Amino acid sequence: MSSPEVPPQPECRKLPPRDLLRVQAPILETAALPGDHRRLLLQAPQIAAVAHPGQFLHIWPHPPAEIDRPPCAALLRRPYSISRLRPPDGLEILFRVRGAGGRLLAAKTDGDLLDVIGPLGRGFSLRPDLRAAVVIAGGIGLAPVPFLLEAILARGARAILLVGAASDDAIPYPVERPRAGRATLPDFAALGADVTFVSESVEGILISEVLEARLDEFTGLGADVFAVGPRAMLKRLAQITEGCLSLQVSLEERMACGLGACRSCVVPARSDDGKAFVTVCRDGPVFYATEIDWERLQP
Amino acid sequence: MTATDLTVRLGPLTLKNPVLLASGIFGYGDEFAGLADYSQLGALVLKTITREPRAGNPPACRTAETPAGMVNAIGLENVGLEAFLRDKLPLALAHDTNLIASIAGDTPEDFAHCAAALDSTPLAALEINISCPNVKHGGMAFGVSPEASAEVVSAVRAATTKPIIAKLTPNVTDITAIAAACQRAGADALSLTNTFSAMVIDVEKRCPLLAANTGGLSGPAIRPAAVYRVFQVARAVDLPVIGMGGIWNASDALEFILAGASAVAIGTALYADPAVGHRVLAGLRDYLERHRLATITDLIGSLELH
Repeated sequence: MSSPEVPPQPECRKLPPRDLLRVQAPILETAALPGDHRRLLLQAPQIAAVAHPGQFLHIWPHPPAEIDRPPCAALLRRPYSISRLRPPDGLEILFRVRGAGGRLLAAKTDGDLLDVIGPLGRGFSLRPDLRAAVVIAGGIGLAPVPFLLEAILARGARAILLVGAASDDAIPYPVERPRAGRATLPDFAALGADVTFVSESVEGILISEVLEARLDEFTGLGADVFAVGPRAMLKRLAQITEGCLSLQVSLEERMACGLGACRSCVVPARSDDGKAFVTVCRDGPVFYATEIDWERLQP
Repeated sequence: MTATDLTVRLGPLTLKNPVLLASGIFGYGDEFAGLADYSQLGALVLKTITREPRAGNPPACRTAETPAGMVNAIGLENVGLEAFLRDKLPLALAHDTNLIASIAGDTPEDFAHCAAALDSTPLAALEINISCPNVKHGGMAFGVSPEASAEVVSAVRAATTKPIIAKLTPNVTDITAIAAACQRAGADALSLTNTFSAMVIDVEKRCPLLAANTGGLSGPAIRPAAVYRVFQVARAVDLPVIGMGGIWNASDALEFILAGASAVAIGTALYADPAVGHRVLAGLRDYLERHRLATITDLIGSLELH
């Protein structure tokens, strides 16, 4: 392997000071999306003002006025990545109607209030001299991508989006399949990204194979890679990019506190003794691929 | 309207009010910074530390949500005594209230070592965790035996001048026997209960959901069972009791106080509502005013049985 440009150094990523807020955010808009996904627009100006791409909100899915009564189902808050900012004061989240929390949120209507803590966690790091970015998403991993793409494009960098899914309806956005040419996602093409979409059921290939095929092109661009999706995908991307491209991944894990206190959501970190864990909620959810011990990471 | 007095005593320790945050919930005290003024609470019990750092149980997963509760198997992951003293305690001391450290170990000597090292700190008291259900050695292995519990309490008693609180497990046939043994060995107070041993099964995969296979159940689901343990212990021994297990609101806290608890600690509910302690405090004040009671101590153990 040729000597790569030195990627940003993970060990320099000390925990940033937090602008931690808890607000009662009104829902301004609800929308049904393809594949049983939903989008909520929340009004939370204080959080929107300090949020970074890749950070998440911790939401109690019951009416804030009922906080004094313990619910039987969905006792804990749920983490949702910030999908996009909607100026002047809005934030969008995307989720799949699945599980107790998803069902509760899906039943919300305009004007309902949500008890929201955020912004939480370390988001994506965009270097000041970023020239090109390859953003790779698998399935619902698309959720935080609009916010990230907008930040990349706002820097004047080139944005290449590679999206993979089991089928066309496994992602929360419409897929367009022109008679000639490759499939695309119009919502992201409209932002100014160069979009490639592959589904296992139609194209029959994984998005990691697309990265592998275009690796020289991306290396030539000096691109940084950002990925969100299933662990198997992230692990494969870490293998492909090792030594040639800087890769940041956003991980998911079951959380309880969301603040780094309970140590529920830990993942194995590379360390001298091979035993260290880091929390997805506070040390992550975004990590440099070189920070994670992929061998010890459970699928 | 006269001001209500929420002051309570736990043996040698005086608290400005009876609302605590339980160990293992609040981390080392800085994780929740900015979400509420935790100095307003009676005491904050920090996450259990051991002599050496511990990696804890395997991840994926360590916590499972269950009806009105959660099962956890963190396995005492902690930074160890040295890093606690160097990195964590100074931050925790930013809270202007009683700070209580929680200690655990594999042997009574481990407990004593931690207790001695913490003796010269500004900590208000030490809680002895002999009730963690999620570690193979130490932990609950001590807390299920009156003799082993007493041995740990005696070792800590000899190593510190600070008030010591023994935290008891409910996973025993007779919790009053453990409580009595801790009293004889020199405990100043008792806290109960720790979590109830539990298991959650993924039926599709036909395996336990938790990587450690088993864990400890907390949350509103255990509250009635915990209230009963507090009732039993408060009547059996002459030590102040910190009651805990599923407290979500002031009414829940009052159940423990009426059953005999001098103070209460809140755990799982903090993850839904970072200001649950403040909400409970406000509810306690309101209750005292509604019932025209001047002090909360009038309520402790004032339960009238049928």
